Amino acid sequence: MKSTIQVSKLSNRKKKGVNWIALFPLLIFSIGFQVIPIISLISSSFSTKQGISLENYQHAFTPHIMEAFQNSIQLSLVTAVLGVSLGFIVGYAIISTDNKLVKDALIALADVTTNFGGAPLAFAFIVTLGSTGVITLVLKSIGVFLYPNFRIYSISGLAIAYLYFQIPLMIMLILPALQGLKKEWWEAAINMGANSQQFWMRIGIPILGPSLMSSFFILFANSFGAYATAWTLTGPDVNIITVQIASLIRGEVQLEIGLADALAVVSLFIILFCVGGYLFLSSKAKRFRA
Amino acid sequence: MKINRKSPTAAQKKNRPQVWQIILIAFFIFYMFLPILSTYIFSIATRWDRTIFPEGFTFEFYKEATDASYFTTSLRNSLILSLSTILVSLIIIIPTVYWVNVRLPKAKSILDILMILPFGIPTVVLALALVQVYNGTPIGRSPVLLIGAVFIYSMPFMYRPISNALHSIDALTLTEAGQSLGASTLQVMLKVIIPNIYPGIISGSLLVFATVFAEFTLTKLILGARFKTFPLLLVEYTRINGNIAAAFSVISFTIAWLASLLILWIGKKGQGSSTQAPHAH
Repeated sequence: MKSTIQVSKLSNRKKKGVNWIALFPLLIFSIGFQVIPIISLISSSFSTKQGISLENYQHAFTPHIMEAFQNSIQLSLVTAVLGVSLGFIVGYAIISTDNKLVKDALIALADVTTNFGGAPLAFAFIVTLGSTGVITLVLKSIGVFLYPNFRIYSISGLAIAYLYFQIPLMIMLILPALQGLKKEWWEAAINMGANSQQFWMRIGIPILGPSLMSSFFILFANSFGAYATAWTLTGPDVNIITVQIASLIRGEVQLEIGLADALAVVSLFIILFCVGGYLFLSSKAKRFRA
Repeated sequence: MKINRKSPTAAQKKNRPQVWQIILIAFFIFYMFLPILSTYIFSIATRWDRTIFPEGFTFEFYKEATDASYFTTSLRNSLILSLSTILVSLIIIIPTVYWVNVRLPKAKSILDILMILPFGIPTVVLALALVQVYNGTPIGRSPVLLIGAVFIYSMPFMYRPISNALHSIDALTLTEAGQSLGASTLQVMLKVIIPNIYPGIISGSLLVFATVFAEFTLTKLILGARFKTFPLLLVEYTRINGNIAAAFSVISFTIAWLASLLILWIGKKGQGSSTQAPHAH
């Protein structure tokens, strides 16, 4: 028995180099469809006829494009802040439900609706809050006129539609952290004379802090990169950065390719920064679990 | 709660949901159901843009929707795209994840990086990069390029359930047991490992199916009108005919609900995982 183990170890060592070959198919796909295109995108954004320069970036940032970035960042900030806060309190309401059946059903609902988005969702919001939508008509009948002051086909309309997938995503992200918030801590704090506000300010929020922040980054990125929902709901009228980049790919606007690359690279780094922030903070958040 | 040391009123008070809880949960249910429910009703309403309640009901729009030119083609294109992506994904992800688990634990960090990367790349940026790099090559602006792009974008959804399922069985012991009985690694994978992780495989496949079937951005920006899928048709009709667009939306929602509920059901039964993951919308 001993000798067979040694033999297999020996052959394993010999095969070590061969073992890595098994990774090749995945690596080829990843490199071919992800790494090389992105690297070439970055390098092409810095190259001009004169050589390496920031010219593309200088030219790309017209006032119109600056406004697109500003709109995208604002939209992402608003939907991330609202998504984090609403998702957090709804998640807390769900977790403190005593009825297990209701709790499981609500978690399942959040789980499913996280994946809803894109074109059908955008259309659902037109049916609900469009100029002749259900809520619009109901409010009209009681004398509240949404239109023309509010439009679902605008940036604030987009925020309402984005929250549809941001809130359940936040619930799913924060549930593990909320489950880790031990009942004993709450009881100990109350027994020592703290009120619920003091508990949250001194214990709850500081412990959940890293989870809340890391979720914020994911929600921000989720909103910043969104395109299908925005395009279906508002068409080319709303000036956000993903719509701008998409219209450059589809050749609707005459513009040098280097400029589109510059916009894409800036967006890419904003999102990568968010994903990096998420990874960093979520590893910190894990300290309080288990 | 048969034995109650506290007074019954105190216990009741503790178990009764509080007002703030009811309000928040009602808000959540309302927000999540109203748009979808409205779309379902709109799709069978004769007319619903002047009165609070629909003026009448009809299935006419489903007939028109399914008769619409491109309906069968776009459904077929969506199925081709999602099924071939699932196939590519299964063939590449299962052996790789299995191999890394059993033979190459060192590569686990590489795998983790590869699987988080797609979340860091916005779909419009990936589309722009792919269109530029492959412009002028044989696969430039072809369905092959689209399948590659969609595979990359959906691969974390296949990876996670399969990886979870592999962790929940002792893959290494099973492999060694199989090999000591004279089976080759391939035989062990096909006859021992795959049957044991099939809930993860089915969950992953359903997640990829739901994701790719609803995919809009990559399809539109890489192929556009040349390869019209179901979501592209839906968006086109939101500008042409609201009633038919509603029927298309209902079909999309129903497919998404069915896939998600199946995943949850499989997850309840055994291994499997939450569907939760960052998404491109």
